[in-house]
Amino acid sequence: MPGIDECLLETMRLPGARGAALVDWTSGLALGTVGDPPGGDHETAAAEAAELARLAAEQQAFGPEDGGDAADPPVEDVILSNRDSYHVLRFVPTSFDSSVCLYLWLARSDGNLALARIRLGEMAERLVLG
Amino acid sequence: MTVVASTPPPRLPVRDRQAALREARGVVSPMLTRLADERATGVLHREHGTLHLVDGRVVHAESPLAPSLGTLLTAHGGLDATAWRDAEDTADEAHLLRHGVTPGVLELTQVSALYDAAYFALAPSSTPGRFRYGGAHWLAAVHPVPVDDLERETLRRRALLRHIWPDPAIDGAPLVRADPVAAPAVPSRQAAVLARVDGVRKAVDIARELGRPAFHTLVHLRRLAAAGLVCVRTPPHQDHPSDGAGDPYVALLKRVRDALEAL
Repeated sequence: MPGIDECLLETMRLPGARGAALVDWTSGLALGTVGDPPGGDHETAAAEAAELARLAAEQQAFGPEDGGDAADPPVEDVILSNRDSYHVLRFVPTSFDSSVCLYLWLARSDGNLALARIRLGEMAERLVLG
Repeated sequence: MTVVASTPPPRLPVRDRQAALREARGVVSPMLTRLADERATGVLHREHGTLHLVDGRVVHAESPLAPSLGTLLTAHGGLDATAWRDAEDTADEAHLLRHGVTPGVLELTQVSALYDAAYFALAPSSTPGRFRYGGAHWLAAVHPVPVDDLERETLRRRALLRHIWPDPAIDGAPLVRADPVAAPAVPSRQAAVLARVDGVRKAVDIARELGRPAFHTLVHLRRLAAAGLVCVRTPPHQDHPSDGAGDPYVALLKRVRDALEAL
Protein backbone atom coordinates (compact mmCIF):
# COMPACT_ATOMS: atom_id res chain seq x y z
CA MET A 1 0.00 0.00 0.00
CA PRO A 2 2.28 2.75 -1.23
CA GLY A 3 0.52 6.09 -0.83
CA ILE A 4 -2.32 8.21 0.50
CA ASP A 5 -4.83 7.41 -2.27
CA GLU A 6 -4.22 3.65 -2.06
CA CYS A 7 -4.71 3.79 1.71
CA LEU A 8 -8.01 5.66 1.34
CA LEU A 9 -9.28 3.33 -1.40
CA GLU A 10 -8.48 0.38 0.85
CA THR A 11 -10.50 2.06 3.60
CA MET A 12 -13.49 2.29 1.27
CA ARG A 13 -13.51 -1.50 0.89
CA LEU A 14 -14.75 -1.84 4.46
CA PRO A 15 -18.43 -2.83 4.59
CA GLY A 16 -20.62 0.26 4.98
CA ALA A 17 -17.87 2.78 4.18
CA ARG A 18 -19.41 6.00 2.81
CA GLY A 19 -16.42 8.30 2.70
CA ALA A 20 -12.89 8.65 4.01
CA ALA A 21 -10.21 11.26 4.31
CA LEU A 22 -6.69 11.73 5.57
CA VAL A 23 -6.70 14.84 7.73
CA ASP A 24 -3.96 16.97 9.25
CA TRP A 25 -5.44 17.86 12.62
CA THR A 26 -3.20 20.85 13.31
CA SER A 27 -3.95 22.75 10.12
CA GLY A 28 -7.32 21.19 9.21
CA LEU A 29 -6.05 20.25 5.73
CA ALA A 30 -7.52 17.24 3.91
CA LEU A 31 -4.44 15.52 2.45
CA GLY A 32 -6.67 13.14 0.51
CA THR A 33 -10.35 12.33 0.23
CA VAL A 34 -12.45 9.54 -1.28
CA GLY A 35 -16.16 8.67 -1.46
CA ASP A 36 -19.02 10.87 -0.27
CA PRO A 37 -18.27 13.83 1.97
CA PRO A 38 -20.06 13.86 5.35
CA GLY A 39 -22.06 17.08 5.52
CA GLY A 40 -21.72 17.68 1.77
CA ASP A 41 -18.17 18.98 1.54
CA HIS A 42 -14.90 17.11 2.13
CA GLU A 43 -12.86 20.16 3.06
CA THR A 44 -15.38 21.42 5.61
CA ALA A 45 -15.70 17.93 7.06
CA ALA A 46 -11.90 17.69 7.31
CA ALA A 47 -11.66 20.98 9.20
CA GLU A 48 -14.37 19.87 11.62
CA ALA A 49 -12.84 16.42 12.11
CA ALA A 50 -9.49 18.12 12.76
CA GLU A 51 -11.06 20.14 15.54
CA LEU A 52 -12.44 17.00 17.19
CA ALA A 53 -9.13 15.15 16.78
CA ARG A 54 -7.18 18.04 18.29
CA LEU A 55 -9.42 18.23 21.34
CA ALA A 56 -9.03 14.49 21.91
CA ALA A 57 -5.26 14.52 21.32
CA GLU A 58 -4.48 17.47 23.56
CA GLN A 59 -6.44 16.62 26.71
CA GLN A 60 -4.43 14.79 29.34
CA ALA A 61 -7.54 13.11 30.72
CA PHE A 62 -7.88 11.01 27.55
CA GLY A 63 -4.38 9.53 27.71
CA PRO A 64 -3.60 6.07 29.16
CA GLU A 65 -3.63 5.82 32.93
CA ASP A 66 -0.01 4.78 33.30
CA GLY A 67 0.97 7.76 31.19
CA GLY A 68 4.42 6.26 30.86
CA ASP A 69 4.95 5.88 27.16
CA ALA A 70 5.71 8.94 25.13
CA ALA A 71 3.26 8.13 22.36
CA ASP A 72 2.25 11.33 20.68
CA PRO A 73 -0.69 11.73 20.60
CA PRO A 74 -1.57 9.43 23.52
CA VAL A 75 -4.96 8.68 21.96
CA GLU A 76 -5.49 5.89 19.38
CA ASP A 77 -8.86 6.71 17.94
CA VAL A 78 -12.05 8.73 18.39
CA ILE A 79 -15.43 7.17 17.68
CA LEU A 80 -18.59 9.19 17.25
CA SER A 81 -21.99 7.73 16.46
CA ASN A 82 -25.34 9.13 15.39
CA ARG A 83 -28.68 7.62 14.31
CA ASP A 84 -27.47 6.48 10.90
CA SER A 85 -23.68 6.51 10.89
CA TYR A 86 -20.37 6.19 12.71
CA HIS A 87 -17.47 8.57 12.37
CA VAL A 88 -14.11 7.01 13.24
CA LEU A 89 -10.89 9.02 13.52
CA ARG A 90 -7.70 6.97 13.74
CA PHE A 91 -4.45 8.74 14.62
CA VAL A 92 -1.57 7.77 12.36
CA PRO A 93 1.49 6.95 14.49
CA THR A 94 4.63 8.41 12.93
CA SER A 95 8.23 8.61 14.03
CA PHE A 96 8.27 12.12 12.65
CA ASP A 97 6.25 14.90 14.19
CA SER A 98 3.19 14.78 11.97
CA SER A 99 -0.38 15.33 13.11
CA VAL A 100 -2.36 13.15 10.74
CA CYS A 101 -5.44 10.97 11.24
CA LEU A 102 -7.52 8.69 9.07
CA TYR A 103 -11.18 9.67 9.06
CA LEU A 104 -13.82 7.12 8.09
CA TRP A 105 -17.55 7.77 7.68
CA LEU A 106 -19.43 4.50 8.11
CA ALA A 107 -23.09 3.66 7.50
CA ARG A 108 -24.60 2.26 10.66
CA SER A 109 -26.90 -0.22 8.90
CA ASP A 110 -24.19 -2.27 7.19
CA GLY A 111 -21.02 -1.09 8.89
CA ASN A 112 -19.11 -3.13 11.45
CA LEU A 113 -17.55 -0.77 13.97
CA ALA A 114 -15.22 -3.32 15.57
CA LEU A 115 -13.89 -4.45 12.21
CA ALA A 116 -13.50 -0.88 11.00
CA ARG A 117 -11.55 0.05 14.10
CA ILE A 118 -9.13 -2.84 13.71
CA ARG A 119 -8.64 -2.32 9.98
CA LEU A 120 -8.13 1.44 10.31
CA GLY A 121 -5.40 0.79 12.85
CA GLU A 122 -3.68 -1.62 10.46
CA MET A 123 -3.99 0.80 7.56
CA ALA A 124 -2.68 3.75 9.54
CA GLU A 125 0.36 1.69 10.46
CA ARG A 126 0.95 0.45 6.94
CA LEU A 127 0.70 3.97 5.52
CA VAL A 128 3.86 4.97 7.36
CA LEU A 129 5.67 1.63 7.63
CA GLY A 130 5.12 0.71 3.99
CA MET B 1 -9.44 27.17 45.04
CA THR B 2 -10.33 29.39 42.18
CA VAL B 3 -11.24 27.72 38.96
CA VAL B 4 -10.41 29.87 36.00
CA ALA B 5 -12.10 28.80 32.80
CA SER B 6 -9.85 29.30 29.82
CA THR B 7 -11.32 30.65 26.62
CA PRO B 8 -12.49 27.81 24.38
CA PRO B 9 -10.37 27.53 21.23
CA PRO B 10 -11.92 28.96 18.09
CA ARG B 11 -13.38 26.63 15.50
CA LEU B 12 -11.32 25.91 12.42
CA PRO B 13 -12.82 28.11 9.71
CA VAL B 14 -14.97 26.39 7.14
CA ARG B 15 -16.62 27.77 4.07
CA ASP B 16 -19.26 27.30 1.44
CA ARG B 17 -17.45 25.41 -1.28
CA GLN B 18 -19.01 26.93 -4.41
CA ALA B 19 -18.75 30.47 -3.11
CA ALA B 20 -15.19 29.82 -2.04
CA LEU B 21 -14.30 28.47 -5.48
CA ARG B 22 -15.55 31.65 -7.11
CA GLU B 23 -13.92 33.94 -4.60
CA ALA B 24 -10.58 32.22 -4.29
CA ARG B 25 -9.75 31.93 -7.95
CA GLY B 26 -7.02 34.39 -8.87
CA VAL B 27 -7.24 36.24 -5.55
CA VAL B 28 -4.01 34.84 -4.13
CA SER B 29 -1.94 35.16 -7.30
CA PRO B 30 -3.47 36.00 -10.69
CA MET B 31 -0.21 34.97 -12.33
CA LEU B 32 -0.36 31.51 -10.77
CA THR B 33 -3.97 31.07 -11.94
CA ARG B 34 -2.92 32.04 -15.48
CA LEU B 35 -0.04 29.55 -15.40
CA ALA B 36 -2.46 26.84 -14.24
CA ASP B 37 -4.83 27.64 -17.10
CA GLU B 38 -2.08 27.37 -19.70
CA ARG B 39 -0.80 24.15 -18.04
CA ALA B 40 2.68 25.62 -17.69
CA THR B 41 5.79 23.75 -16.53
CA GLY B 42 8.57 25.63 -14.77
CA VAL B 43 9.39 27.60 -11.64
CA LEU B 44 7.52 30.60 -10.23
CA HIS B 45 9.75 32.81 -8.09
CA ARG B 46 7.95 35.06 -5.64
CA GLU B 47 9.26 37.33 -2.91
CA HIS B 48 8.83 34.81 -0.08
CA GLY B 49 9.29 31.53 -1.90
CA THR B 50 9.27 29.40 -5.01
CA LEU B 51 6.60 27.18 -6.59
CA HIS B 52 7.49 24.39 -9.04
CA LEU B 53 4.81 23.64 -11.62
CA VAL B 54 4.26 20.71 -13.99
CA ASP B 55 1.35 20.90 -16.45
CA GLY B 56 -0.18 23.72 -14.45
CA ARG B 57 -0.14 21.84 -11.15
CA VAL B 58 2.09 22.62 -8.19
CA VAL B 59 4.47 19.73 -7.51
CA HIS B 60 6.91 21.29 -5.04
CA ALA B 61 7.34 24.48 -3.03
CA GLU B 62 10.15 26.09 -1.10
CA SER B 63 10.33 29.13 1.15
CA PRO B 64 13.03 30.59 3.41
CA LEU B 65 10.24 30.94 5.99
CA ALA B 66 9.45 27.20 6.10
CA PRO B 67 11.62 24.14 6.89
CA SER B 68 12.52 22.26 3.71
CA LEU B 69 11.41 18.71 2.92
CA GLY B 70 14.96 17.62 3.77
CA THR B 71 14.72 19.22 7.22
CA LEU B 72 11.39 17.53 7.92
CA LEU B 73 12.62 14.11 6.73
CA THR B 74 15.92 14.23 8.62
CA ALA B 75 14.72 15.90 11.84
CA HIS B 76 13.37 12.80 13.52
CA GLY B 77 15.99 10.24 12.63
CA GLY B 78 14.07 8.79 9.71
CA LEU B 79 16.75 9.73 7.24
CA ASP B 80 20.35 10.80 7.67
CA ALA B 81 21.44 14.11 6.22
CA THR B 82 24.00 12.58 3.86
CA ALA B 83 21.39 10.35 2.24
CA TRP B 84 19.14 13.38 1.74
CA ARG B 85 21.95 15.42 0.15
CA ASP B 86 22.86 12.53 -2.16
CA ALA B 87 19.24 12.16 -3.25
CA GLU B 88 18.96 15.90 -3.82
CA ASP B 89 22.24 16.12 -5.74
CA THR B 90 21.37 13.23 -8.02
CA ALA B 91 17.67 14.21 -8.17
CA ASP B 92 16.86 10.60 -7.36
CA GLU B 93 13.60 9.84 -5.56
CA ALA B 94 14.46 6.12 -5.41
CA HIS B 95 17.54 6.95 -3.35
CA LEU B 96 15.25 8.18 -0.55
CA LEU B 97 13.20 4.99 -0.70
CA ARG B 98 16.37 2.87 -0.49
CA HIS B 99 17.40 4.70 2.67
CA GLY B 100 14.39 3.85 4.79
CA VAL B 101 11.84 6.46 3.72
CA THR B 102 8.62 4.61 2.88
CA PRO B 103 6.48 5.89 -0.02
CA GLY B 104 3.73 6.80 2.47
CA VAL B 105 6.04 8.88 4.65
CA LEU B 106 7.58 10.57 1.59
CA GLU B 107 4.13 11.52 0.29
CA LEU B 108 2.84 12.70 3.69
CA THR B 109 5.94 14.79 4.28
CA GLN B 110 6.11 16.17 0.74
CA VAL B 111 2.47 17.29 0.72
CA SER B 112 2.86 18.86 4.19
CA ALA B 113 6.03 20.68 3.10
CA LEU B 114 4.38 21.77 -0.15
CA TYR B 115 1.32 23.39 1.46
CA ASP B 116 3.55 24.81 4.18
CA ALA B 117 6.07 26.53 1.87
CA ALA B 118 3.31 27.60 -0.52
CA TYR B 119 1.48 29.38 2.31
CA PHE B 120 4.50 31.68 2.70
CA ALA B 121 5.35 31.84 -1.01
CA LEU B 122 1.81 33.05 -1.71
CA ALA B 123 1.84 35.71 1.01
CA PRO B 124 1.20 39.22 -0.30
CA SER B 125 4.44 40.55 -1.75
CA SER B 126 5.86 43.91 -2.73
CA THR B 127 7.59 42.67 -5.87
CA PRO B 128 6.08 40.94 -8.92
CA GLY B 129 6.65 37.22 -9.40
CA ARG B 130 8.85 35.83 -12.18
CA PHE B 131 8.17 32.58 -14.04
CA ARG B 132 10.87 30.57 -15.76
CA TYR B 133 9.65 27.86 -18.10
CA GLY B 134 11.67 24.70 -17.72
CA GLY B 135 11.84 21.08 -16.71
CA ALA B 136 10.01 19.21 -13.96
CA HIS B 137 11.18 19.11 -10.34
CA TRP B 138 12.70 15.76 -9.33
CA LEU B 139 9.89 15.08 -6.84
CA ALA B 140 7.17 16.07 -9.32
CA ALA B 141 5.51 12.66 -9.26
CA VAL B 142 5.05 12.40 -5.49
CA HIS B 143 1.91 14.51 -4.94
CA PRO B 144 0.90 17.20 -7.50
CA VAL B 145 -1.63 19.71 -6.16
CA PRO B 146 -4.12 21.68 -8.33
CA VAL B 147 -3.58 25.45 -8.12
CA ASP B 148 -7.21 26.09 -7.13
CA ASP B 149 -6.88 23.73 -4.15
CA LEU B 150 -3.66 25.43 -3.07
CA GLU B 151 -5.14 28.93 -3.31
CA ARG B 152 -8.27 27.96 -1.33
CA GLU B 153 -6.19 26.26 1.34
CA THR B 154 -3.90 29.29 1.61
CA LEU B 155 -6.90 31.57 2.18
CA ARG B 156 -8.34 29.13 4.72
CA ARG B 157 -5.02 29.07 6.57
CA ARG B 158 -4.89 32.86 6.74
CA ALA B 159 -8.41 32.88 8.20
CA LEU B 160 -7.50 30.16 10.70
CA LEU B 161 -4.57 32.15 12.10
CA ARG B 162 -6.70 35.30 12.24
CA HIS B 163 -9.40 33.41 14.18
CA ILE B 164 -6.98 32.08 16.76
CA TRP B 165 -5.23 35.38 17.48
CA PRO B 166 -5.48 38.39 15.18
CA ASP B 167 -1.99 39.89 15.63
CA PRO B 168 0.28 38.79 12.72
CA ALA B 169 3.39 40.25 14.41
CA ILE B 170 3.79 36.90 16.21
CA ASP B 171 4.65 35.21 12.91
CA GLY B 172 7.85 37.03 12.06
CA ALA B 173 9.34 38.65 15.16
CA PRO B 174 11.59 37.38 17.98
CA LEU B 175 9.33 36.17 20.77
CA VAL B 176 9.43 36.24 24.54
CA ARG B 177 7.54 34.30 27.18
CA ALA B 178 4.96 36.28 29.08
CA ASP B 179 3.69 35.80 32.58
CA PRO B 180 -0.08 35.58 32.49
CA VAL B 181 -2.36 35.98 35.48
CA ALA B 182 -3.69 32.44 35.33
CA ALA B 183 -1.51 30.29 33.10
CA PRO B 184 -3.59 27.59 31.40
CA ALA B 185 -2.30 24.04 30.93
CA VAL B 186 -0.28 23.73 27.73
CA PRO B 187 -0.65 20.63 25.51
CA SER B 188 2.64 18.83 24.83
CA ARG B 189 3.11 19.98 21.24
CA GLN B 190 2.58 23.58 22.22
CA ALA B 191 4.84 23.08 25.23
CA ALA B 192 7.70 22.03 22.93
CA VAL B 193 7.25 25.30 21.03
CA LEU B 194 6.95 27.34 24.22
CA ALA B 195 10.15 25.83 25.60
CA ARG B 196 12.06 27.31 22.66
CA VAL B 197 10.72 30.85 23.01
CA ASP B 198 13.73 32.73 24.34
CA GLY B 199 13.66 36.32 23.10
CA VAL B 200 15.90 35.50 20.13
CA ARG B 201 14.21 32.75 18.14
CA LYS B 202 11.45 33.50 15.65
CA ALA B 203 8.68 31.14 14.56
CA VAL B 204 10.70 29.79 11.63
CA ASP B 205 13.72 29.03 13.85
CA ILE B 206 11.52 27.07 16.24
CA ALA B 207 9.92 25.17 13.35
CA ARG B 208 13.34 24.17 11.99
CA GLU B 209 14.61 23.02 15.37
CA LEU B 210 11.52 20.92 15.99
CA GLY B 211 11.41 19.64 12.40
CA ARG B 212 7.78 20.70 12.08
CA PRO B 213 6.02 22.64 9.34
CA ALA B 214 6.26 26.39 9.95
CA PHE B 215 2.50 26.89 9.63
CA HIS B 216 1.90 24.33 12.42
CA THR B 217 4.32 26.30 14.56
CA LEU B 218 2.43 29.52 13.78
CA VAL B 219 -0.82 27.84 14.85
CA HIS B 220 0.78 26.79 18.13
CA LEU B 221 2.35 30.21 18.70
CA ARG B 222 -0.90 32.06 18.02
CA ARG B 223 -2.68 29.77 20.50
CA LEU B 224 0.07 30.48 23.02
CA ALA B 225 -0.28 34.20 22.32
CA ALA B 226 -4.05 33.99 22.77
CA ALA B 227 -3.45 32.27 26.11
CA GLY B 228 -1.11 35.10 27.08
CA LEU B 229 1.98 32.90 27.27
CA VAL B 230 3.94 34.40 24.40
CA CYS B 231 4.33 37.90 23.04
CA VAL B 232 6.50 39.82 20.63
CA ARG B 233 9.70 41.16 22.12
CA THR B 234 9.40 44.93 22.24
CA PRO B 235 12.60 46.92 21.74
CA PRO B 236 13.76 48.43 25.06
CA HIS B 237 13.56 52.03 23.83
CA GLN B 238 9.82 51.81 23.21
CA ASP B 239 7.22 53.19 25.55
CA HIS B 240 7.39 50.92 28.53
CA PRO B 241 6.89 53.15 31.55
CA SER B 242 8.18 51.62 34.73
CA ASP B 243 4.78 51.79 36.39
CA GLY B 244 3.28 48.35 36.41
CA ALA B 245 5.72 46.89 33.88
CA GLY B 246 6.03 43.77 35.96
CA ASP B 247 2.38 43.69 36.96
CA PRO B 248 0.63 40.72 35.34
CA TYR B 249 -2.72 42.55 35.36
CA VAL B 250 -1.23 45.44 33.43
CA ALA B 251 0.28 42.92 31.00
CA LEU B 252 -3.17 41.36 30.55
CA LEU B 253 -4.77 44.73 29.82
CA LYS B 254 -2.05 45.49 27.29
CA ARG B 255 -2.68 42.19 25.56
CA VAL B 256 -6.38 42.95 25.35
CA ARG B 257 -5.59 46.39 23.94
CA ASP B 258 -3.18 44.91 21.39
CA ALA B 259 -5.71 42.31 20.33
CA LEU B 260 -8.42 44.94 19.90
CA GLU B 261 -6.09 47.11 17.85
CA ALA B 262 -5.16 44.16 15.66
CA LEU B 263 -8.80 43.30 14.89
